[in-house]
Amino acid sequence: MRLLTGAAVAMAAVLTLAGCGGEDTGGSREGGLKVQSAYMPQPVTAAMAAGYLVIENDSDAADTLRSVTSDIAQDVTIHKTSGQAMESAGSDDRAIPAHGRLVLESGGMHLMFEKLKRKPKEGETVSVQLHFAKTDPVEVEMPVKSATYQPASARSNKSPASSSFVSSSFVSSSSSSSSSHH
Amino acid sequence: MRTKSMNSTNSMNSTKKTYAAAALLALAALTLSACGSSGDDANAPVADVSAESGTDKAATVLDKPFEKPDLVLTDTQGKSYDFRKETDGKPTLVYFGYTNCPDVCPLTMSNIAVAEKEVSKKLPKSELADLRVVFVTTDPERDTPKALGEWLKGIDPDVVGLTGDFDTIQAGARTLGISIDPPTKDKNGKVTSMHGTQVIAFSPKTDGGYVLYGEDATVEDYAKDLPKLLKGENP
Repeated sequence: MRLLTGAAVAMAAVLTLAGCGGEDTGGSREGGLKVQSAYMPQPVTAAMAAGYLVIENDSDAADTLRSVTSDIAQDVTIHKTSGQAMESAGSDDRAIPAHGRLVLESGGMHLMFEKLKRKPKEGETVSVQLHFAKTDPVEVEMPVKSATYQPASARSNKSPASSSFVSSSFVSSSSSSSSSHH
Repeated sequence: MRTKSMNSTNSMNSTKKTYAAAALLALAALTLSACGSSGDDANAPVADVSAESGTDKAATVLDKPFEKPDLVLTDTQGKSYDFRKETDGKPTLVYFGYTNCPDVCPLTMSNIAVAEKEVSKKLPKSELADLRVVFVTTDPERDTPKALGEWLKGIDPDVVGLTGDFDTIQAGARTLGISIDPPTKDKNGKVTSMHGTQVIAFSPKTDGGYVLYGEDATVEDYAKDLPKLLKGENP
């Protein structure tokens, strides 16, 4: 077990090195968890904002995103756009499988910030703390992007050639993609 | 060489983007017209319609456009707004959503607003002057004219925001193949509302709702298509 953890940490180090550009997109890590591609689209008003990120788990233990806090908002909840409605994400939705990932993206799971102290503007960053069932909390500096910002992965999602690849990578664990980092 | 089976495959692909009844209607229309052609290769209009879908185009051009909904609602000034009358002969984009929506609703409206701005740099002002962008709330209880006005001010003050009787809104949405349930309140007082799945573009030439955009349509998609939509042409 210890050996495995050690291996995970070593791999994590490699991943961190390989994860170039991770820093400016809100990359943070703790234990086997790595948070990346975090962003907040500049909200319309200070009443409500959304946040997106990807949590990768390169350890052998599954974890769960328990809660999210931020000093900028009174309330941060984990929501899911399901068809045409929004609902609170259940614990199954928040699971981060071993060697898998949890994707919070536009049109799917997202963080919902309510009653913000001020309206975050493009170019600023918002501090967000992610709390997990097992792993220690992770602090993420979430950059505020334009209201219409879409990460590159979402854009490639539109192309029919790559859409099947993208959607399957959401479902299956990233064992194949993490091995490609070695 | 376009065969009939290709047509139906393509139209199936396109409907994946929009799962509302509208898409099913469009599919039904396509299927019907494909059947009607009975193996004849002269079904060019059908081929034109489904030719949109094999690519990564955001737009779905409807074979059978929607009639404009009969919506008489209240605008952000608190004045009565007759949708058919006000948008008569004008290129019009309509979206159904609500302001307490962090994810899809502001993104959709911002995409259109930014696209409009980009297009305004290239086209003469007069060409864009007729464009009507209309946001109809699905949560009229919380989205008062004032609340709607404040929210839209943060996106684009030129957008027409409409609120009013939920049943009227629901019925209007239904004629566009958009099904919306009334907002529900859970035991903690949290309200859950629904938003439409698509933006509908109405032609200035026919007043028909002839193009659909799903939630994955980007600024670039709208910016690319707007000049055509302004003229009632197929994007």
